[in-house]
Amino acid sequence: MQKHLTLEQKDARLGVKLVLPALSIILLLILYPVGYNIYLSFFDVTMTGQSTYIALENYTSVLSDPTFWKSVATTFTYVIFSTFGTTLFGLIVAMVMNKKFPLRWLVRSIILLPYVAPVISVVFAWQFFFDPVNGIFMHFMVDVLGIYDQRFNLIGSPSYAIWVAIIFSIWKSFPFTYLMLLSRLQTIDKNLYEAAEIDGCGPVRKFFSITLPELYFVMGSIVLLRFIWNFNKFEDIYLLTDNVKVLSIYTYFKAFTGNMDLGQGSALVVIQFGLLIGLILLYVKKVLKW
Amino acid sequence: MVIHKNIFKSIGFFLLVMFIVLFSLFPFLQMLSTSLKHSWDWGNPSLIPAQVNTSAYKELLNIGQDEKDLPESVRILLEETPDLTEAQKESIIAKFKDSGDIFPFMKYFRNSLAFATTAAFISLIIAIFGAYSISRMKYRGQKLIQRGVLFVYMVGGILLLIPLYKISVAIGLAGTEQGTVVSLLIIYMVQTLPVSLYMLGNTFRSIPFSIEEAAFVEGYTRIQTIWKIIIPLSLGALATVFVYSFMIAWNEYLFASVFLKSFKDLFTLPIALKALFVSKNAIWDRIMAASMLTAIPVVILFMLVQKYLAGNMSSGGVKE
Repeated sequence: MQKHLTLEQKDARLGVKLVLPALSIILLLILYPVGYNIYLSFFDVTMTGQSTYIALENYTSVLSDPTFWKSVATTFTYVIFSTFGTTLFGLIVAMVMNKKFPLRWLVRSIILLPYVAPVISVVFAWQFFFDPVNGIFMHFMVDVLGIYDQRFNLIGSPSYAIWVAIIFSIWKSFPFTYLMLLSRLQTIDKNLYEAAEIDGCGPVRKFFSITLPELYFVMGSIVLLRFIWNFNKFEDIYLLTDNVKVLSIYTYFKAFTGNMDLGQGSALVVIQFGLLIGLILLYVKKVLKW
Repeated sequence: MVIHKNIFKSIGFFLLVMFIVLFSLFPFLQMLSTSLKHSWDWGNPSLIPAQVNTSAYKELLNIGQDEKDLPESVRILLEETPDLTEAQKESIIAKFKDSGDIFPFMKYFRNSLAFATTAAFISLIIAIFGAYSISRMKYRGQKLIQRGVLFVYMVGGILLLIPLYKISVAIGLAGTEQGTVVSLLIIYMVQTLPVSLYMLGNTFRSIPFSIEEAAFVEGYTRIQTIWKIIIPLSLGALATVFVYSFMIAWNEYLFASVFLKSFKDLFTLPIALKALFVSKNAIWDRIMAASMLTAIPVVILFMLVQKYLAGNMSSGGVKE
């Protein structure tokens, strides 16, 4: 018995050893920085010299800045519409790809491309598409359809740019949503549909009474993940346009350009993270009913 | 009546599929088309170039550029001095080319390749042992680690950027080229490690334990079973995780832009492209050609592991 136990203990020790490199990297570079960040947010941080403790001053100056509140509003608009749009479009695509049609295998791999391609390499194509001089979008809107009188820089204007960013985000992330939903769709029991058909249910009724309830929890988790990712989104927006100042971008500018205020930047990050956790908890309780 | 309804339905369905395909593919077609157009053709809404122009690709890939960029006097010097060795010739050419206005695409390409390959490889090795440990072995805290890994989903890049930058400045890593390379590699590893652990953990759990047990009876140690049984049985998943990590590092912009700011020689493709776009106007063909060349390696790699990756994504093991 004694020997058996030591063997198990030995094994456990080896297990810890094997996971230690991975674990220590994660703890050291994710957990510690999060803590350090909270610490920094109470200081006036300079890159070279000493940092001085200034209590809540970073927070008060951030919260009293109207640009901050504007970027909170922008963030919410972006997150809500892009999450909703991605989920809806992903659902439509998943339902289409669940039906058999010729060349489906090819279509299925083509539509993963937006998700795979580097952001940096696709943003320029989008910018070109909306370019006032050369872009096809303005060509159609002005020359073909006559919706606008003259060509203008759509991505350059803040009120339009956010919608371009939202459509871009839907384009970039719908493949992920579609894949997750498709794999769940494929596991739905076919008998349910047959039974519904015998009861005289049409396709609409079948969708709302069978498909949607079956997808509820997968969709709930996808929406949660998408919400988290879009809330923290930086590259997809920053590289596409200079005019959509969501929180991440606002923080980036505050901390890494001009006089590089890392203290206020840290405070912004803490606020953003706190907001995110609060919203997640609310969502998990209300929607996922955990 | 029924037949008519079916025809309309099929046409509608067909149009829907077409729309989805076009929506997904259009930006790529746009990219390819513009990269092959002459500047006088850019405003033409047709995607087919009026006249195919490959000069942007040639310039980026440095095909047939050697002679063109050299000043006349240097070219004569090279041709009329037969006792120069090849190495000397090359160094002369390199010297004059660097002072030219060309965008050193190949250099940035190599930087990106080096960063992405190294980060993906180290991350894979660490993840193999970590994932084996959390999926196959029992000890206190094992479940906690397994779930805690998912916590990382919530921590976006921007949340880590400030503290990590401050730390690497404080310990002196951000001041030197080597230090910057090391910090960036570690950061890329951290971003890919949680997903790698999760994906590999799922794969390892699906390998029947009886195979391993048989190996133990034969006298294999844990480490030996990992090398001789677990790794050979999950090559597909390993390739997938490698490609996945590679893609994350290859595409990364945020950290690279802050850490590499003052090291132009270390620029990766994303920051170099962004800088190129900001610095010069009206070079759409070069921008698009560079975009194509940046996307192609990732797309090819993805196609190779697509089957595994799609499966893994739908089982939840994926991060952006």
